[in-house]
Amino acid sequence: MKRGRQPELIRLAAEAAGLGASLSRRGFLMLSVCTVSGLAALGLEQAFGADAPLVILDNAKGMILADPTRCVGCQRCELACTEFNDGRAQPSLARIKISRTVHFGPGGPTGGDGMHGDWGDGLVLQGVCRQCPHPVPCATACPQNAIKVEPETGARAVDPAVCVGCRLCQRACPWDMLSFDEQAGVATKCFLCHGRPKCVEACPAGALRYVPWRDLTRDGGPQRSGLSVVSPESARACTDCHVPAGKTGVR
Amino acid sequence: MAATSGGFAGKVLRVDLSTGKIGIQDTIERYEAVLGGAGLGYRVLWDEVPAGTGPFDPANKLVFAAGALVGTSVPCNGRATVTTIFPTCWPRPLVGSGHMGGHFAAKLKYAGYDALIVEGRADKPVWIMIRDARVEIRDAGHLWGSGIRRTTLELSQEMGPDCVVAAIGQAGENQAPMGMVINSVSHSAGGVGGVMGAKNLKAVAVQGSGAVRIAGDKAEWEKLIKFHLSILGGNNQHVVPSFPTPQAEYYNPASRWVGQPGRRWGAAKPPVELAGDIYDLNRIAYRTNSAAYFLGGEAWKYTVRGNGCTACPIRCHTMLRVPSVTVRYGIPDMAQNTCIALQFGRMFFKQPGDGKGGEAAIEACMVGMHLADDMGLWSNYGQLQRDLRKLYEGGYLKTRLGSKEYASIPWDKYENGDPAFLLDIIPRIANRQGELGDVLSRGTGAIFDHWSIPEAEWARDRTTTYWKMGHPKHHANEDDGQCGVIINTQYNRDAQCHSHTNFVRNGLPLEIQRKLAAAIWGSPDALDAPGDYTPANVYKAKRARWSLVRKELHDALGVCNWMGPWVASPRWERGYAGDDSLESRFLSLATGRAIDREELDRAGERIFTLHRALTIRDMGQVDMRSKHDLVPPWVFEDPNGAAPFTKGTTRMDPADIALAMDLFYEIMGWDKATGAPTGERYASLGLGDVGEALRVGKLTPESGR
Repeated sequence: MKRGRQPELIRLAAEAAGLGASLSRRGFLMLSVCTVSGLAALGLEQAFGADAPLVILDNAKGMILADPTRCVGCQRCELACTEFNDGRAQPSLARIKISRTVHFGPGGPTGGDGMHGDWGDGLVLQGVCRQCPHPVPCATACPQNAIKVEPETGARAVDPAVCVGCRLCQRACPWDMLSFDEQAGVATKCFLCHGRPKCVEACPAGALRYVPWRDLTRDGGPQRSGLSVVSPESARACTDCHVPAGKTGVR
Repeated sequence: MAATSGGFAGKVLRVDLSTGKIGIQDTIERYEAVLGGAGLGYRVLWDEVPAGTGPFDPANKLVFAAGALVGTSVPCNGRATVTTIFPTCWPRPLVGSGHMGGHFAAKLKYAGYDALIVEGRADKPVWIMIRDARVEIRDAGHLWGSGIRRTTLELSQEMGPDCVVAAIGQAGENQAPMGMVINSVSHSAGGVGGVMGAKNLKAVAVQGSGAVRIAGDKAEWEKLIKFHLSILGGNNQHVVPSFPTPQAEYYNPASRWVGQPGRRWGAAKPPVELAGDIYDLNRIAYRTNSAAYFLGGEAWKYTVRGNGCTACPIRCHTMLRVPSVTVRYGIPDMAQNTCIALQFGRMFFKQPGDGKGGEAAIEACMVGMHLADDMGLWSNYGQLQRDLRKLYEGGYLKTRLGSKEYASIPWDKYENGDPAFLLDIIPRIANRQGELGDVLSRGTGAIFDHWSIPEAEWARDRTTTYWKMGHPKHHANEDDGQCGVIINTQYNRDAQCHSHTNFVRNGLPLEIQRKLAAAIWGSPDALDAPGDYTPANVYKAKRARWSLVRKELHDALGVCNWMGPWVASPRWERGYAGDDSLESRFLSLATGRAIDREELDRAGERIFTLHRALTIRDMGQVDMRSKHDLVPPWVFEDPNGAAPFTKGTTRMDPADIALAMDLFYEIMGWDKATGAPTGERYASLGLGDVGEALRVGKLTPESGR
């Protein structure tokens, strides 16, 4: 989307919502608060604030749901992900994460009670991309705007042609779900395989399902500290929409 | 060879514990002809470990080898072989391999190695750290004396939660020939733990961030993977369910495909119900429950889930949770394993307190798994347990063991089938305590040596299932007549071959098996029903050769011979046929170099023949037929006096077996009188250097005369 067109999009959105031709930024916030998915109805999968490079991504349509009680720790999902997408078997590249949790669980080799994984209670807590709603940490962190919505599924996908390999997205993800392709020098993440996820197909225990999206970012804690990886320019753009309440005439 | 070659990682890692030297070799340059796995192991032993080397000598080597298909999503891969001079081989240690699954082999590939060769001996306890290109020998003093569980935990703390640790416990540290090495909780390589202990090597821990490249077209690869999945059965490639169902034309109560809809993983939280289409490729992991198969239906309520090797969908290591064992015996309430290792504890007893599948039996299994898999004590395919029972029941211990030691052993618990007996006997053996502990820690041969008991007392007693050279039968005439007997003569430990028995026991009706047999081995006469045998013929010999060649191939490629080959399938629309070319098709796509079934089988035969050559060389004996390829007398007897070839007996006939061996040697191109490969045969298999060395040593049939 070209920068020059952004105010045009806001105008279109305002008209569509019946909010008048000169929609203030506040009005846009009202619009998008009502329904972020409403953007899709306007044919806007992505919208930029007037002070780009802020990115607002429409919600994903589907997601991979993982059931730890069925996972048998075989890692076929990791292997399907990279073999069938990248032509090589490489769990460290996999966009679904088992290897780091299969032995001891997400808490690691602590010993004692409460440890998961093969050496603990047997539960394998799979690492799966939540296809986060706005604000999408990896997409927001990317200085190149290389993480975009994949049209078929709404998955947040790294565009390898745009990615420069700075790894900020990796640092930004609260669940450490971004992989890095050392050979190509670009980041990569779960892109839902155009609606037919290879991992779901590969699981011999039915522990993975491809289901309608819902917001999983509020279930269960993130794996790592929330370091805000947002450039100052992007952060300033947040205030285009996020303004104090009750100070406008828009109702 | 480019680092991005397909299938193979491209590098062999060498660690010399005497000098601390760490080196790299090119896999393809040195070992392409023997592929990997046990093949690579045999080649290293031939080239570098002279005849007469003892298992615990620094000059012995340990070859941990994966295979070209390991680390990919080829179903049923993930195997590592550990090849060495095998300590329990009696009366003289010879080449042998332990085999372990789990995650070790795959991790070694991701680290960039096809194999690890350990040489020499460290002067104090060490462990080997492998993290991609970074390899170090680190101090293991703080781990010596600890079991495998603690060792794995502490090394994972040091390296990271994704590392895979292969470690020995107290048995290996004590250089017990019956010591083993374990990775990933329950995956053990028998007999090689003591060799590690003698090298002061406590563990090998691996992390790998690399890739196994698929050189061929990735869409083709995906298609073949899915095809392979579609012809899988349950454990041991049993292709019909054990229960009647409208979903299947046939069923067989003896099948290991026990996952009947309506059953559930009862100890999962909440329990997981088995339901739906039993052929669904997203439900393969529900077909097998080793605990239910071996211990009975009660085991379902203790089942948490299945577990197993990297990339295998079968999950034959059943994970059990039995809360009562914590209270009663002070052990963790969770354990996992399959087959004999699952039953390690139960097999010590004549009859557990409340029957084969009762609570005491299950508890005995839990105690056995906990102790054996932590202290790293091997069962020698259950021979340890059978030996203990025979020694006790036969009155040998009463007369030969000192009275003080005899009285110190809780025989009352043994008599009552009390699992608490195991809390004494297993550590006693692993720690080599007293006369009994020490003798049993050395393998069956030590029983004959130490107490001057003739081997014949075991070899004539069918209840011992003793075969030869200190080891038991492993799928012999009880499963597969002459074919099984031939296979069991060929190795220096128990045969560890399942190619033949997987087919024979796949559960299909005999007429369908015979139809498939005709297509694969040339005639429906290639097999009989177990216990309903007919005389030897060339097709059975052909099937024995195929079984052995494919076993070596699987052990070289890193795929599981407990599942493959996949020549039968559950698919009625294919006439229940599988695919006899799967191995070669996968290898071709992985490496990018086309190889057909015949060429790959030739490589398998090359590997098997190299094992033969090593055995001949290290025995200093060319007459394999009468000195090595032995069959115990009990095979030729029947407890009820039934004659061979009558229905209901597995009794074989000596003249018929002699004919079977003739046919086998002939098919192998070996000399009939000695069972030894000829010089010409070695040369035709690309083992000219081996044949020449044996000729010079007068160990070929022509030169030996």
